[in-house]
Amino acid sequence: HPALPTSSLPPHPTMGESDYSFSLTTFSPSGKLVQIEYALNAVAAGATSLGIKAKNGIVLATEKRISSTLIDESTLHKISLITSNIGMVYSGMGPDSRVLVRKARKAAQAYYRIYKELMPVSQLVREVASVMQEFTQSGGVRPFGVSLLVCGLDDEGPHLYQVDPSGSYFAWKASAIGKNMVNAKTFLEKRYTEGMELEDAIHTAILTLKEGFEGQVTERNIEVGLVGEDRVFRALTPAEIKDYLGEVE
Amino acid sequence: SLLPSPRPHSFPPPAMDSLISLVGDGFVISAADASNARSVVVMKTDQDKIMHLDEHKLLSMAGEPGDAVYFTEYIQKNIHLYELKNGVVMSTHAVANYARGELAKSLRKRPYSVNLNLAGYDKKVGPSLYFMDYLGTMKKVDFTAQGYASFFVLSTLDRHWHKGMTESDAIALVKKCIDEVRLRFMINQSKFMIKIVDKDGIRVLETGC
Repeated sequence: HPALPTSSLPPHPTMGESDYSFSLTTFSPSGKLVQIEYALNAVAAGATSLGIKAKNGIVLATEKRISSTLIDESTLHKISLITSNIGMVYSGMGPDSRVLVRKARKAAQAYYRIYKELMPVSQLVREVASVMQEFTQSGGVRPFGVSLLVCGLDDEGPHLYQVDPSGSYFAWKASAIGKNMVNAKTFLEKRYTEGMELEDAIHTAILTLKEGFEGQVTERNIEVGLVGEDRVFRALTPAEIKDYLGEVE
Repeated sequence: SLLPSPRPHSFPPPAMDSLISLVGDGFVISAADASNARSVVVMKTDQDKIMHLDEHKLLSMAGEPGDAVYFTEYIQKNIHLYELKNGVVMSTHAVANYARGELAKSLRKRPYSVNLNLAGYDKKVGPSLYFMDYLGTMKKVDFTAQGYASFFVLSTLDRHWHKGMTESDAIALVKKCIDEVRLRFMINQSKFMIKIVDKDGIRVLETGC
């Protein structure tokens, strides 16, 4: 056979391109996606976060697990603003959450650009969840090692959603994720009341965090974020958290 | 000599379509002429130029016939897709911005020479009317007209429109505008279709006014 001219041969794949064009998330014989199970383990090892939906708003709270007193904890923000009326907190791997925060922010702005209206919370959650699902079925990537709690107040009222590494999402009245989630959820089940006010929810959130906290809760080692009927999501300042801690004592 | 001499706008080709819309007390009324004519030939006198986007939105089109139908159908199908996907009805404001965005996007690629009146009723906001043109201009208005009719009826509407008109008054005003067009516009546009949208949905008032 005459040798084929080299220009017509397919290019030799370089390392890192087509070598990993298959999905790293594959089924086990029992029908599980173990990579997602392991991702959930990463979440379960992360600092506890929780959210409570009140009749007039939603509160998110999280432990700021600081590994050393030398860390400047004022620069560490686990609770992120996505749009003026939507906020998000995570449990698990911080760097992974940053990717999702960025994608969520962009999705919300892209929506606004088309419709000149704020993106409904349920649709934003669906977008983020869809991204997380993609990473369980694409080549050369791994699932995100975070679960998210997304909250927002829109025309349909207050919403609290949890999104898992698999991409599945659930709407909650109150939920907790991370290390102490089992105890925290039990506590929330007892404390949650239908139609509770946002102020009560904030107190309950702080109490729930305190339940599983190793050591003393201070205004510097927890973060609280909330959105009320004004539809403006914001993180509480340490001074405000300190006041609430005083009230809860 | 520094100013360019004014000359008639030759692109897009001047449309013969006449659209008239106005907002009343809890409703929006839209009228459109029903003739489809090219050059000296009248092809149809029962053309429906007012598309139903959903149960509470009317999109009236004026301009090049191919573009008009293609673009408004594109908008209609995408609105329908949104409502199926998200389980909520889109607001008139969102539809207007979406349509305007599509016109603006296409302007420097393959422009659609179509001008639109979007009339809608939303539970929270009530009746609203949006004027859009082929350049991607968009404005929320109380009344408007497209095509040559606008030269004649905008002054009629300026004079007689007021906030919160009753349905009968609004219909009378629309008919007054149509009479003005018939009187003053060179091209015979004998038949007009009139539709109304309010909290109960869309009603066709006249098909050959």
